Amino acid sequence: MNHLGFEMEKVKIGSFDFTCCEGCQLQLANKESTLPDFLALLDIRNFREISSERLDDYDIALVEGSITRPDEIERLKAIRGKAKVLIAFGTCACFGGVNSLKNRIPQEEAIREVYDNKAVETMPSMKISDIVQVDYSIPGCPVSKDEVEQILVGIVTRSQVSLPTYPVCVDCKQQLNTCLFDLGELCLGPITRAGCNAVCTTGKTACLGCRGPAEELNMPAFLELIKEKGLSLEDLHEKLAFYNAFEPLATDET
Amino acid sequence: MHDMRFTIPGQDLNREPFAVKIPDFQKKSEVMITDKGYKCRITNIVPLSGLERLFQLRIIDPLEREVFNFRPGQFLMLEVPGYGEAPISISSSTSNHEFIELCIRKAGHVTSALFEARQGAFVSIRGPFGTAFPMAEMQGHNVLLIAGGLGIAPMRAPLFWINDHRDKYRDVFLLYGAKEPSQMLFTYQFEEWKKVSHVQMSTIVENPDESWTGRSGMITALLDEFTFDPKETYAIVCGPPVMFKFVCSHLDRLGIPMNRMFVSLERRMHCGMGKCCRCMVGSTFTCLDGPVFDYWSVMNLKEAI
Amino acid sequence: MIYKVISKGEFKAFIDALVQNNSSFGPRKVDTGSNGKPIYQFMPVKSVDEIEFDYTVTHSSAKHFFLPYRDELSHFNFSDGNWEQEIRYEAPPIILIGLRPCDINAVNILDDVMLHGAYPSPYYLARRKNNFIIGMDHLPLPDCFCHSMNRHTVNHGFNLFCSDIGDSYYLSINSSKAFNFLKEFKIEEPTYEDNCSLIERRKNIKNSFETKIEVSGLPCFLDIEFDSPIWQKWGDKCLSCGSCAMVCPTCYCYSVEERFDVDLKGSTRQNHLYSCNLVDFAQVTGGHNFRPKTGDRLKYRYYHHYRGFAANDNQQICVGCNRCGRACLADINPKDVINDLRLERESCMICVLPSPDKT
Repeated sequence: MNHLGFEMEKVKIGSFDFTCCEGCQLQLANKESTLPDFLALLDIRNFREISSERLDDYDIALVEGSITRPDEIERLKAIRGKAKVLIAFGTCACFGGVNSLKNRIPQEEAIREVYDNKAVETMPSMKISDIVQVDYSIPGCPVSKDEVEQILVGIVTRSQVSLPTYPVCVDCKQQLNTCLFDLGELCLGPITRAGCNAVCTTGKTACLGCRGPAEELNMPAFLELIKEKGLSLEDLHEKLAFYNAFEPLATDET
Repeated sequence: MHDMRFTIPGQDLNREPFAVKIPDFQKKSEVMITDKGYKCRITNIVPLSGLERLFQLRIIDPLEREVFNFRPGQFLMLEVPGYGEAPISISSSTSNHEFIELCIRKAGHVTSALFEARQGAFVSIRGPFGTAFPMAEMQGHNVLLIAGGLGIAPMRAPLFWINDHRDKYRDVFLLYGAKEPSQMLFTYQFEEWKKVSHVQMSTIVENPDESWTGRSGMITALLDEFTFDPKETYAIVCGPPVMFKFVCSHLDRLGIPMNRMFVSLERRMHCGMGKCCRCMVGSTFTCLDGPVFDYWSVMNLKEAI
Repeated sequence: MIYKVISKGEFKAFIDALVQNNSSFGPRKVDTGSNGKPIYQFMPVKSVDEIEFDYTVTHSSAKHFFLPYRDELSHFNFSDGNWEQEIRYEAPPIILIGLRPCDINAVNILDDVMLHGAYPSPYYLARRKNNFIIGMDHLPLPDCFCHSMNRHTVNHGFNLFCSDIGDSYYLSINSSKAFNFLKEFKIEEPTYEDNCSLIERRKNIKNSFETKIEVSGLPCFLDIEFDSPIWQKWGDKCLSCGSCAMVCPTCYCYSVEERFDVDLKGSTRQNHLYSCNLVDFAQVTGGHNFRPKTGDRLKYRYYHHYRGFAANDNQQICVGCNRCGRACLADINPKDVINDLRLERESCMICVLPSPDKT
C-alpha cells in the first residue's frame, strides 16, 4: 500500500523463547490461508519455528515464555538492548503463565518432584515485565493468530494497536453460547480480557483467564456471584492462580 | 400428500418483489448519505504549530464538489483508508467550493496517519453532519467569538461567513486565547481579519514567554477591552470543555441571554448519523442535535460539560 | 390482515416445506441448565422436527439476524497510489420461525431507529426486507413483563403470526408472500368458535403476567433521579460484562473499527455491536472517559431503554422480555432497578403523586 504517499517497510523481527512450550510461536506458522501474506510483512531475522536465519539485527522482538533461570535474565536484557519494540508474546511472557504454578511450593520440592533431585538451576517464574520494559503484550495460551496478525499489521502500518478492553462474555454471547454459570460451572469469562473469540467457552470449557484481567475489574461483584451461585471459592482460587494472570485475592476473602 | 407444485425454491423469497426497494448502491444519491465518502486529494498541508496542521482537501469529482455544501459549525467524518475515521470540524469558507480546509491536531491514530500522508494523497470525507451556528439569526446583532486553543478551527467558518456578509452584522469581536504563544494558530490571518473583515480582535496567552508582548491570563479578561450591548449580542464559544463553563457563566453575568450563546461540543463519533450512540450526551446525539448547542441546552443536558 | 385457521398437523407440513428449501432459523434446545430447565436459542433448522414449537424463550434475541454482531460496512481496495471504496452487502433470504410478540415488537423498534430519520441504514434495510417472520404467541414466563411495556401483542412487522388455540393455530396473515405459500395447504376460515378461542387465548395470556413494572412517567423520573445513589448501588453490582446488551433484542449501539487486510492490499471498515456498559464506551481520543463509573454506564443503559433518546422520539425501547435480567450474572434486572428507583422517590409523597394502580 502506498495510497497515502509512503511505502510500508517490512519490519525486522526476531522471535525468542524462554521457559515455555513454544506453542505460541508455533501458532504463527499456522493459519495457512494468510501465512504467505503474514510472512511478507516481516523480515525474519531470527525465528526458530519458521526460518534458519540467526541474525542479530531486529527491530521487533517477540518474546515467548517466562523467566525461570538467572542466565535467561541476561539473555532477555540483551534482547531488550537490541530491540526497538519488545512484545511479550503469550500468557507465560505476559503473566508468568502455567510455569508460575511452581511458585506456590518451595523450589526444592518442585525440583524433587519434577527432576528427581537432579541438580537443576531454577528460580521462581517471572513475567517479562518484571525484568525489562515491555512495549506491547499479546496474551493468550496460546496466542490467537488473528490477533497477532492484527497487531503486527498495526505495528507495520502504524495504525491502531489495541486489545479489547471488555471481558470474554461479549465474545461468548456473540457466539450464542450457553452461559457456563447456567450449567453450574465456574468460568472466569466475566473478568477476563476478550479477544480469543471465546474459543474455550464455545467448546463448553470454562475460561481460565489466560488473557488476564479485563480493564476495570469489579472483583467484589464477581466474588459475590461465586458465593451467590454456591460455587467453590477454592475452585476460584485455583482458576485465578492457574496462569498467574490475576492478583491473588485478599486473604480475608478466603 | 401435498401437491408438490408448491416448490419453495420456485417461490424463492428473492423473487417476490419487496415492499420497499433495496437501496441501489450504483445510485450515488442513495450511497453518499451513509457510508460512501467523497474522495478527496490532499492539495496542501500548512504547518500551524508543533501539533496542528491545516489540511486542504479537494473533492475529486466535479459534481460531488458542487454538491458538497455545509454550514459554519458543521463537521465531517474524515476517513484515512486503512486507519479509520475521525470527526473533524470544517475550517474553511462555506462559499469555497474548490477546497475544504481542516485544522487538525495530531491526537489519535487516524490523525497521526494523516500527518504522515504526503501532499497529493487520497483520503475520503463523509458529511457534512450536525448542526450549525445560526448565522442568519445573528444578523443585525453584534457577534462575539471566543476561541480557546484549537477552538479557533471551527471559528474560521463563521469568520469567513461574516466577511462574506459583513454589512449584515454589527460589531464583530474575536477573542482568542492559547496556553502558550507558540500554540497560537492562524497568526498569519490576524491582520486580514482585523483589516478586511473589520473584526475587533484581541489575543491572550496563559503562560507567556519572552517573545510574547501581549496580555496574559484568562480569556475572559479580554472582555474588558470592548464595549458592546450584551442584549444585542450573540456569542460563539469554542474551546476545551473546561472553558465553556467559566466563559459562558461570565457572559451570562454580562447579560447575554443563554439561548444566544453557542458552544460546540466534542465527543467520539463513530457513525456521525445518530445510530451508534457513542456520542450521546444525556439523551441527545452530539452528531445529530449537535455539535453546536446553545448554552441553555447544554446547561440542561446531563453530563455535557 | 387476513385471518385463517390451520390444524397443527398441517401447520407442521407447511413449516417443513419452508425450512427444507430455505435457510431457516427456529427455536432449538441447545442445553439443559443446571436447574434442569432447557435452554433454547434461535438456531439453523433443516426440518420441522428440529423446531421446539412449545419453547419458553430463547436466551439470545433474534436481533443479530438484522444487526449482526460484526458487519462489514465497506472495503477499501488499494492500488498504486490510490484506492477505491467498495460497499457490499449480502442479505440472503432467511426464514425466522417462532418469534414472540416482544421479539417482533423489538424488530419494529429497530426499524424506527435504523430506517427512520435522515440516515436510514441500507445494511439493515437489506436484511430486514429479506426475511420472512413467523411469529407465535406464548404464555408468559414468571419474569416476562412485556405487558407492562405494552409489547405483549403485535399487529405488524411479521409475515405470519400464529396463535395457539388448542388443536389448531389461528393465523394472522400479514403479507402476500405468506398468503401465497399457504394457498398450497389446507387452511380454513375461522369459525365463531375459533374466534372465541382466540379471544380466550389472548385473555389468558394477558392475565398470566406475574411481573409488573410501573413505567408510566418513567422518563420524568429518570431525569429527576439522574444523580440518585441508586445508580451507584446497582453499579457496584455490575460486572460491566456487556451480556445484557448482547442478548437484548433492541440494544443496537455499536462501534466502528477499521482494519488493514493482512496482505495490506485493502482495509475493511466494520461495525461491531458494543454495549454502553463496557468500560470504554464513552472514551474519547486522548483517553478522557465521560462515563468512567460502572453506575454511570448502567444508568445510561436504563436511560436509553426507559427514557428513550430524542432522535428516536423519546420512545422507550425496552420490550419487556427480561433477557437482560436472565443473562445478568450479578442479578441486575429491570424490575428490581426500576422499583428501587420508584420506591425511593415515591416514599416522598409531597413532590410526586402516587401512580394510579394498574388493574
